[in-house]
Amino acid sequence: MSDEHLNLTLRIWRQDGPEDRGAFRNYQLDNVSPHMSFLEMLDVLNEQLIASSEEPVEFDHDCREGICGMCSLMINGQAHGPDRATTTCQLHMRRFNNGDTISIEPWRATAFPVVRDLVVDRSAFDRVIGSGGYVSVNTGNAPDGNAIPIPGTTQEVAMDAAACIGCGACVAACKNASAMLFVSAKVSQMAVLPQGRTERTERVLGMVAQMDKEGFGSCTNTSECEAACPAEISVEHIARLNREYARAALTAR
Amino acid sequence: MKCPTYSSWFRERRLDAVCQILRLPAVMLSQIPGIGPVVKAASTTVGQKILMAITGLLLCGFLVTHLAGNLLLYAGAKQFNHYAESLHSWGILLNVAEVGLFTLFMAHIGLACSTHAMNRQARRSQYTQKESKQEPMALPSGGASGWMFVTGVIIAFFLVVHITDMRLKKNPFIDYSPAYQNGPEAGPDEFVAVRLVLTNWTAIAYVIGLLALGIHLSHGFRSALQTLGVNHPRWNRLLEIISLLFAWTITLGFLSLVTWAAMTSGTSN
Ligand code: HEM
Ligand code: FES
Repeated sequence: MSDEHLNLTLRIWRQDGPEDRGAFRNYQLDNVSPHMSFLEMLDVLNEQLIASSEEPVEFDHDCREGICGMCSLMINGQAHGPDRATTTCQLHMRRFNNGDTISIEPWRATAFPVVRDLVVDRSAFDRVIGSGGYVSVNTGNAPDGNAIPIPGTTQEVAMDAAACIGCGACVAACKNASAMLFVSAKVSQMAVLPQGRTERTERVLGMVAQMDKEGFGSCTNTSECEAACPAEISVEHIARLNREYARAALTAR
Repeated sequence: MKCPTYSSWFRERRLDAVCQILRLPAVMLSQIPGIGPVVKAASTTVGQKILMAITGLLLCGFLVTHLAGNLLLYAGAKQFNHYAESLHSWGILLNVAEVGLFTLFMAHIGLACSTHAMNRQARRSQYTQKESKQEPMALPSGGASGWMFVTGVIIAFFLVVHITDMRLKKNPFIDYSPAYQNGPEAGPDEFVAVRLVLTNWTAIAYVIGLLALGIHLSHGFRSALQTLGVNHPRWNRLLEIISLLFAWTITLGFLSLVTWAAMTSGTSN
């Protein structure tokens, strides 16, 4: 791997607030180490902007290790940049070449309004979770871990769904700005386990109703979400959501 | 600062209005007791897609019977006309079937417009740059999923041409008189009529319409199964291949009739 430093042109979306129309602005950033993460590169840019008394670029981040799902950037037209199974914070500058122009946009969806620059408001996801993405349990002593036998393969399916970090890349990448991959992961992780079955009917009806209310689109089964998902959630869960939904619609009392 | 132009304001309101109007039938039906909750569920994004998948698959079923009947053209005028006559002898039942088919198309197209409008609503400002992260051939249907509405609209236009041509026999560019040689009482000779239509230059609409159908179904068939919940890692690859085979068997089956008519034009049997 080359240690050659990169000189980059950054084409970044700047928007003063939700009501502002926003526009792209170009910034020149020189001498970028290829070992930096993408977010560190933006930190360096912001240092440079602050030094020249300009407003730094607002962007979301928290853990910077791929688990919180806060970082959310459309990099050269791809959610979280060019790599598969990678969040923006895990993306390294060695993926780019000296002299590149890198275009950086916020997630674009009616349900994810831009707060400022590259920061979007993803609280729509929280409201979807609040409308059914939970199990009700009794407080008190923790129940015996193996009281209810669950086959290993079933646990795997639930764990694969539970890997969703709620970053919104599925919505960002979908041509319909559909949240089906996110919602299906949150429905699946509980629908396949006995503990989650109790509330399965209200869960799927409630979460789909909220998903629509937030203004996400419908699913064309393009599978672009699966390719963009840093947690590699499979569209298999979307099929399960559809099954759960049909069952609930026909049998709910 | 935001200064929405009048036209952009109008465009957004218009989209909202379209969505509202397209939802109306479902909203009204949802008042019926018993099926009310089902209808209500059917008007959500997931419910609408499930209905689309059901109507789409029923239309696929129609295509199979339609192609099977039409392949009798290869058996010759006698067999084909016999088939046409036995269909017509259904009388009122045939009309009922036609109305059913028409309803399926209208439902499918109505849902297509409704979901399309919702999807447009869901992303009001577009990306300036958007790239796919999928392997180019991740799905055997290639990029067909991005063309469902466009190919659907082409199919809808083709349907209008097709019904004017074959069912109503009113294509202004075609002289249908050779099909009416058996006297005014006997009705048209369907075999002759089909060949008249398919050898006319307007048959180009058939080629375009059928290619659009092939693209539509190469994604549509598998997509409908997924929408109805059919997905299993062990079977997915096979299902994708079967869908692709289905789509292009139907398409090439119909297209072969166009080629056959063109190649045998001038000969009579
Ligand atoms: C012979 C005629 C047709 C057949 C057999 C057919 C079949 C299908 C099938 C099986 C699907 C997949 C359903 C799903 O994934 O939920 C589909 C989807 C679709 N069809 Fe058709 N269709 C036909 C005509 C049309 C027409 C006339 C339109 C008019 C606009 C149309 C527009 C669409 C759209 C927009 C989709 C869904 C794309 C999406 O998933 O967002 N189709 N069709
Ligand atoms: S900052 Fe937490 S996942 Fe990227």
